[in-house]
Order: sequence, then C-alpha cells, then structure tokens
Amino acid sequence: MPFRKQSRLPVGFVVLAFLVLAAACSGKRPPALATATPGEGGSAADEARARASAQPLEEGPDVRAVEGEGASGSDIPGSGLYPGEGGPLADIRFDYDSAALSDEARATLERHALWLQGQRDVRVTIEGHCDERGTVEYNLALGEQRARATREYLASLGIAAERLRVVSYGKERPLEPGSDDAAHAKNRRAHFNVSR
Amino acid sequence: MALLAAVTTLAAAPAVRPPAARQEPPPLDEIVIGGLTRPRFAVPECVPRRQDDASQAACRTLTQVLRADLRFEDLFQFVPDSLLNAIPPLNPQAPRFDDWKGIGAKILVATQAEVANAELQVEVRVYLVDTGQPMLQKRYSGRPENPRSFAHQASDDILTLTQYKGVARTRIVFVSDRDATKQRPSKELYIVDYDGFNPRRVTVNSSLNILPAWRPDGAALVYVSYRQGSPMLYLAKIFEGQSVANLSGEKGDSQAFSPSFSPDGKSLAFVSNRAGSTDVWIAGADGASPRRLTTTQAKDTAPCFSPTGDEIAFTSDRTGTPQLWLMDNQGLNVRRLTVASGNYNDGCAWNPAKQYSEIAYTARLEAGGFDIAVIDFATRQVRQITQGRGSCEYASWAPNGRHLVFSCERNKRWEITIADREGRFFQTLATGPGNNAQPDWGP
Repeated sequence: MPFRKQSRLPVGFVVLAFLVLAAACSGKRPPALATATPGEGGSAADEARARASAQPLEEGPDVRAVEGEGASGSDIPGSGLYPGEGGPLADIRFDYDSAALSDEARATLERHALWLQGQRDVRVTIEGHCDERGTVEYNLALGEQRARATREYLASLGIAAERLRVVSYGKERPLEPGSDDAAHAKNRRAHFNVSR
Repeated sequence: MALLAAVTTLAAAPAVRPPAARQEPPPLDEIVIGGLTRPRFAVPECVPRRQDDASQAACRTLTQVLRADLRFEDLFQFVPDSLLNAIPPLNPQAPRFDDWKGIGAKILVATQAEVANAELQVEVRVYLVDTGQPMLQKRYSGRPENPRSFAHQASDDILTLTQYKGVARTRIVFVSDRDATKQRPSKELYIVDYDGFNPRRVTVNSSLNILPAWRPDGAALVYVSYRQGSPMLYLAKIFEGQSVANLSGEKGDSQAFSPSFSPDGKSLAFVSNRAGSTDVWIAGADGASPRRLTTTQAKDTAPCFSPTGDEIAFTSDRTGTPQLWLMDNQGLNVRRLTVASGNYNDGCAWNPAKQYSEIAYTARLEAGGFDIAVIDFATRQVRQITQGRGSCEYASWAPNGRHLVFSCERNKRWEITIADREGRFFQTLATGPGNNAQPDWGP
C-alpha cells in the first residue's frame, strides 16, 4: 500500500476535528471541503469509469430455455461491472479471514469520509472482496462482513448510511488473478464504486 | 421426458423358449443383488436393424453410452470385450444362451436400433442367461438427435432391477466463466448430463450468476445473480426460459445468497443480511413468509436440508472458525457437528438417501487447500474423499446418494469432478472450456 505513513495521524485528526466542528454547527458543511484530496489520486477518467460501472444492467433476458421451444435469450449489451481498483476512493485491505479494520484502513476511510463530505451527491457501493483461499460460501459472508464494517466506520464518521450500499463479491471477482501472497493481499479488500 | 416420444414395454416376449408355467416376474432385487451378487453382465454391441449410416451411428453411441452408464454405479461386473468377440455375434431375437453362458455371462443386455422416418427406435432386452428368461424388455422411440438419452433411459430402466435408482438421466448445473470477456467477467449457469455431455447454457445476462441449486422437480433452479447490482436470489424456470427476480424479497441494500430447496420443494433456505448480519432464513418456495433461523452476529451461512426436511445443517463461525452446525427447521436445537476435522469447514451437503446418514462438506484438512470430506452421524467419523487433487470444494450428492460431485482447482483451472461415496473412483467431467465450479446434482 502506497500510503504515506506520516500523513496518517494528521489526516485522522483533521477528520475528527472536522466532525466535531460539523456537529457543532449542526448541518451545512463548508463547500471548501469539496476540494479535499481523495484517498488515492483518481483521474476524471477513473471517476467516469467508476460511475459508469455502477450503473445497473439494462433490462433484458435473464435465462434461456434449455430444451424445447421456449423463449431464447441473447447477451445483454452494455457496460461491464468490473470492480477494478480505480475510482476516486482507494481500496482498503484486510488481514486473512478478518473483517477488522486496520489502522491503515481507518486512516484511508477517514480521508474517504472527508472527500464524501464534500461530494454530497455521491453515493457509494462498498464491495467486500476476499482472496481465493476460502470456500465460495463462507467468503461471501466474509465479504459481506468486510463491506459492512467499512460502511459502519464511514457512517461513524458522519456519512449518511443511505449513501452507502454494501455488496459482497466473496472470491468471485478477484482483482489479481495470481495465487501468491501479494495477489491475495490485493484481493482481500473493500472497493468503492462511486455514483451520483 | 420430451425427447422420448414413447417408451413402451414390449407386449409379449418373443418366444425365446416356451415360457415357464405362468408365473409372476421374479423378485428382481433378489436376482441381481440377492441371488447374484455383482452379477456379470454381457453388453454386446447394439445390432442395427437397418444398414444405413444413421442407424449404425446411433447403435455405436448406444453401445458406448449404455456400457458407461451401467458401469457407473459399480454394482455389476462385465464380460470383457475380448470374450464378447470370441463367440458368434448376438442374434438379438433369439440369443444362443449357451454361448453367453460359455463366456461367463449371467445377464445379457441385447440392444437393437434403427433410424427410420426421422425417428430413432431402440429395443432393449435383458435376459437372465442361465434360464434364458427375459427380465426386462423395452422399446424406446423419439427424435434421433441425441441417442445418448435413449441409452440413459435404458440404463435407468435396467437399474430398476436393483434396489438402487439410476442417475443416468440426471443433470448437473454448474457455474462457468467460459463466456466471460475482459470487459464483462461474467459467470453463467450451465447444465450438463451427469456424464458431462450435452452442455446447455441457462443464464444469458452477462452478470455474475453463482450458487445454483435445483428445485427438486428438476424444472427450475434457484441461484444468486448480481444482475441488479447486488446478490439476490433468482428462480430460473429452465424449460420456459423465464426467471423470477429477488425471490427472497430483499429490500434496500440487503442481499441474499446460498439458496437451497427442501427435499419436498416446499421450503427455501437461504442467507440474508437483512437483519444486520448474515443469517440463515427459511421461507416458502416462492419466498413468502420468511423466518429468521439464526440470530448471532457471527457469519451464519450455507444451509442444507436433511432428507426429511426437518433438520438444517449450516456453517457458522460463532466459535471463532467456520464449522458445521445443526438445527431443526425452526431454528431450535442448535448444536455443533464438526469438531475434529480441522479449523475450516463449510458447504454442507446432506446425503439424500436415508440409508446413508452422513453429510459431505468442504474441509481444510491440510494447510492451504481444501478437500471434500464426509462425516457419519452415527460414529462422527470423518472420511476424506479427495486427497492430492488440488483444492476441492462445493460437494453435492447424486439423487441416490451413491456419488458426489464437486469442483477442484488443478493447474489453475477449476473442473467438475465426480467421486463415488467412498472416494475410490474419480472422474473429471469434460464439461467444456473455462473454469467450471459450484456444481449441484439435480434430479
């Protein structure tokens, strides 16, 4: 993870100070915060991609008949739903078989919260992902727990829960196809899909 | 079965020898299992009744598939081909039983076929060699496109002579990424015959479609799809090409996965996080009247029903590691099942045959990979089914409880594998390209 360690505490403090302040003035956040730096540099293109990828699929056939003369289907044209690493909000990582937020993850989420405070129309789908070293079904539950823990922390930082949706992908959509420790570490993550 | 337009039992046995004094057909179970333990079958080549290419090709397929089907359950012995070729060819209308006796056959399966008027007609006669008595005589007719299905039907009919129900006509649903692209890393559902042939794609929505489970009537699948952005349960009526979305009625951003029908098809167990944590829920088959069965903050997931539907096994990490637990279908009488087989157990599959009181599951018995294991209720003994086959998971039983299907990752590729319930014989199904996983064995 490329986060600068020395920046962790100050940013955390800024967020907390801001939250206290925001609570004190009960309501409107100063728009100046809209320029707060997101957790990891995201270009406009990244953001556009994240936005596009969060759109639901078009309506279309879902299944097709396997036998007989029933309805047949065709592929739905349109955007893929690839939950890559890009987007304005950086992924956070988890330890093996754990949904606990590390200090580093909390620091990242604090930066995300700051950014989200300034982007009041942004909604976020939090995707919980797991590495391949687990079973399909348990990993779906683990991914759910990771996404939920992430949402709860963002909510505790003042982000309205209605803006935060959780989706578990288990081990079904790994970011890195490899099987080494580095790939596993990258795949144990919460990913943020941003839409407006 | 739509394909077989007509299945008829031949009215009268051709007079092989004068029928013995009018008597009831012999008690067939006893003949095959009691009187003859692992009887020795002779399955000579199917005899085409016409010499055209279509009839001959159909006969070749019928022979090959019928032999494979009959071998599958490992209930019989077989006269080797070298001996079959050592005697005069079969006269299917009037077999010379002394010839067959001479090569040690106890049961003779005589098959004839022809393609005429765009119809395949197959006749199968099963004789008790010692007496020349016909045990079973069937005529099958239907569209000629898939002769394999005729052989499957005949094999299941022959298995009715034993106390085991054949599975040659059953199908397996699984998940594959074979149609995924870089832009759309989709997973879709596919159905294959139990032997891996005849693959058919079910879902066509280019989203993630996972965790399929058959409805016990074989006409529908329940599965998890992300096509609306988050995991929800869908019901696919496979013969109509129709689906029902959000079967469990998730609202807001709640999600559902791990669906499983009760054996009577009237209840649906699944996992939902609608109450704030992943819990096992039960509802009617249409999703109506959902009730929460587990209430811990831990991860409770992956329910499976007992053969009676009264009990449910599931996975929970409430004691720290994922383990199998049991409860009744009201969520009461909760107790832990796996205690001595490693620190990671998941994915239960209760053997549907009541005579086998056991649950198959995925266990991490060695560091790193997973294996399929079976725990016996009476003894709590665990027997390891897979070993050294790569990481294997997601077990499902054949309807007669004599085989398991699961998926194993070897050389970076997931493939569907079948094993007998003792874990002695393994067969990787050639279902097609891509990663093929999460199989569920249907009726």
